[in-house]
Amino acid sequence: MSTDSAFKLNDIKLRPHRIFGGIKPPAFKSSSMRSRIMPSPIPERLILSLRQHQGSAALPLVNVGDMVLKYQLIAAADQESALNLHAPTSGKIVAIESALIPSQLQQSEMCIHLQPDNKDNAIALNEISDYRAKTNADLVALVKQAGICGLGGAGYPTANKLKASIDIEAELLIINAAECEPYITADEALLREFAKEVVSGAEILQKICLASRCIIAIEKNKKEAVSALAAALNNSSISLVQLPAKYPAGGEKQIVQGVTGLEVPSGGYPPDIGVLVQNVGTAYAVHQAIVEGKPCISRITTLTGAPLQTPKNFSVLIGTPVSFLFEVCGIEEEQLTGAIVGGSIMGVELADLQAPVVKTTNCLIAKSTQEFPEAGKEQACIRCGFCADVCPAKLLPQQLYAYARSCNRDELESHGLFDCIECGACAYVCPSNIPLVQYYRASKQSFAKQLKQEEKSLYWQSRFQTHQYRLKKNQEDKLSQRKTKKNQAEV
Amino acid sequence: MTEALAKSSPMQLGKLKTQHIMLLVIAALLPGISVATWFFGWGLIINIGLACCFAISCEALALYVQKKPIKAALNDNSAIVTAFLFAITIPPGSTWWLVLFGIAFAILIAKHAYGGLGQNPFNPAMCGYLFLLLTFPLQMTSWHIPIEQGTLSPIGWEGFKQSILAVFPFLFASAESMVTTIDGMTMATPLIVSKMAGTNALLEANEAGLALFLRSSETGWELMNIAYMLGGLSLLAFGIIRWHIPLSIIVTVAVVSTLFYSPNSSAVFGTPYLHLFGSATMVGAFFIATDPVSAATTTKGRIFYGIIIGLSIYGIRVWGSYLDSIAIAVLFGNFCAPIFDYYCRPRVYGHTKRSLFARVTGSKP
Ligand code: SF4
Ligand code: SF4
Repeated sequence: MSTDSAFKLNDIKLRPHRIFGGIKPPAFKSSSMRSRIMPSPIPERLILSLRQHQGSAALPLVNVGDMVLKYQLIAAADQESALNLHAPTSGKIVAIESALIPSQLQQSEMCIHLQPDNKDNAIALNEISDYRAKTNADLVALVKQAGICGLGGAGYPTANKLKASIDIEAELLIINAAECEPYITADEALLREFAKEVVSGAEILQKICLASRCIIAIEKNKKEAVSALAAALNNSSISLVQLPAKYPAGGEKQIVQGVTGLEVPSGGYPPDIGVLVQNVGTAYAVHQAIVEGKPCISRITTLTGAPLQTPKNFSVLIGTPVSFLFEVCGIEEEQLTGAIVGGSIMGVELADLQAPVVKTTNCLIAKSTQEFPEAGKEQACIRCGFCADVCPAKLLPQQLYAYARSCNRDELESHGLFDCIECGACAYVCPSNIPLVQYYRASKQSFAKQLKQEEKSLYWQSRFQTHQYRLKKNQEDKLSQRKTKKNQAEV
Repeated sequence: MTEALAKSSPMQLGKLKTQHIMLLVIAALLPGISVATWFFGWGLIINIGLACCFAISCEALALYVQKKPIKAALNDNSAIVTAFLFAITIPPGSTWWLVLFGIAFAILIAKHAYGGLGQNPFNPAMCGYLFLLLTFPLQMTSWHIPIEQGTLSPIGWEGFKQSILAVFPFLFASAESMVTTIDGMTMATPLIVSKMAGTNALLEANEAGLALFLRSSETGWELMNIAYMLGGLSLLAFGIIRWHIPLSIIVTVAVVSTLFYSPNSSAVFGTPYLHLFGSATMVGAFFIATDPVSAATTTKGRIFYGIIIGLSIYGIRVWGSYLDSIAIAVLFGNFCAPIFDYYCRPRVYGHTKRSLFARVTGSKP
């Protein structure tokens, strides 16, 4: 981190700043906020993916047939980017085989299948009476031990993030409660009922990362959560920043801008300017892990959508199948046309309802044609510029689209394709139904492929050159040998 | 696109679609069209109807020839908008073949020869207009206004008959009544009057205290422009267009015409008021220059685009040899739009600012 930006950051008043672009789609949040968070019942089978996030897989520590207890470590993170995995309840390991898990790529993963015995026997927990007495390294180790990852988005292991921010001496910790995407209410519900615990978690995080300031950023329109937080923050040094409600105010780069007015440099991360962003759900998990000694075995997930009779937020065990949760909510089968993992904008379609909840599953939407009609046919871009008006990265989506279609790599790069956060705001407003994000993803992927190929061809090229060089050298050697021989013969 | 990608986000989409935008543009034109009809007769409405029919047929033909899906593409209503814009810029009561030629050029050449909606670099309606202006200058500069018994009677039955005759002269070609009925008044726009006569017709008319509803053609122009302006403002309010283009055109025209106007000299330059309300400036600023496909698409680019158009409108009117200049000015703006867009890219989030100079010269910061 350059001293320059540090100086700036400490002087900055933390208040709502303007975020570029953004949209205000209908929120559809009230239905799932009607009831309190409910612990979900234990299903007949839990499917625990060894890869709960976009990192590497954990190493299983159990075998088929083993009996495990609640909170017991069943797979260990043997690599930096892996996550520890614990048994959410007691029961028997019935299989270790691959199953589909919800993610961007819709891929199958190795999963531990656990058949609960419904006794919920737990191992003894290590409660810590005063975490302040612990060293930061110990606390990070505890976070790592608990298998916590960022519960808001891609699920980067929290311990790694903390370590990195200790190294760069983060100055500001932002707890992100700006849950801006339609349908998702997991964070809001959490704050409404567990604001104290979240604040405690935030304080722990602040202690670990040594940030001099910590704020919780939330959208203004979440009235109940704001008042609960305000009450919980009464004697705390942590303050609250209320942002105007718009999507994607809760994006990592956007929240930094919304709170500080600074921008994360292109290609960089918030720590580059001395900021650490953590999700409220993560803060809560950290509180549970450190104060109560509980590893991450459950999370708050929103279940919503028109086909569900009682949409609500569940405190759901990791590994619970989506179809089981739908049934608990009471589902009208004839309406159901599928499921979306995540919110209605960034979410992805779930191919199989048997797929389990993973640590990053913040929302499950039961789809119906009434709420999610088939998208209209893609039409020509009329260059209305609506997309550019809403782009939070201040890109020109219409130009990117044109260059993506003509595969103009140079222009795509110079127009900032890699600064696109794939928020989908542009595609949301596009009157011509152009799936812009798809075009960008496809271009990014083909770039990556091209790059690999270029590397490969460079490799072969150099191999070829060395080969040629060797051939030439051999020949020269032979020639010179012959010459010397000749010379010797002549002599 | 591959299957796997076809299901990607966003799952939820906004409700405003291209066909709605086009319909809203047409709706916003209606007040201006009504006022124009009230003053200048049925010729405009008949022209619009005719232009729409021709435009849809041409569009269908072009799609058919290119083997593109006809119904889906017609549904975007863009051909109808082109037809409307074309019809309100040509003199009302223009003959049918004039409309046909113009529309055919606009849709077949200016739009589809360049690849259809979204690909055309120039505003099709204005291309059609300019094509006619170059090929049929006489027909394109005289306005036909029906007259009954010596007074203007634009919307009466007689006026309607005259307008029909003006558009379809062959209908009564055999009837001897032809000669007597088609004796409407052929007039020029106030701007032309001003330019030709060197007097400021509109100003005089106003000073003479002409009541607005005398249906004098000069006040007609004024009211019509106000109506178009209101329509344009409603488009702004609905968020269909942004303020940058109309405002920069209007401000440019107002500023330039104020700078060059001196009341005591010969009034060839015309008052700012005349430039704004005595010609097609409002239609141009709110409806024609804002045609998104051919306009600049970046915010800053749009301002430059508007300024260029404003300058050309004034320049061509005052120093050029064409009488009204919206079409040429807009086409000139279309020419420049891609350059403006290229160099007026907004600073992307997380990037440092680069000056325009650095961007144009390509030097690194
Ligand atoms: S919103 Fe859609 S139609 Fe409009 S400019 Fe952007 S990509 Fe083109
Ligand atoms: S998806 Fe990319 S281009 Fe579209 S609005 Fe978001 S950041 Fe901008």
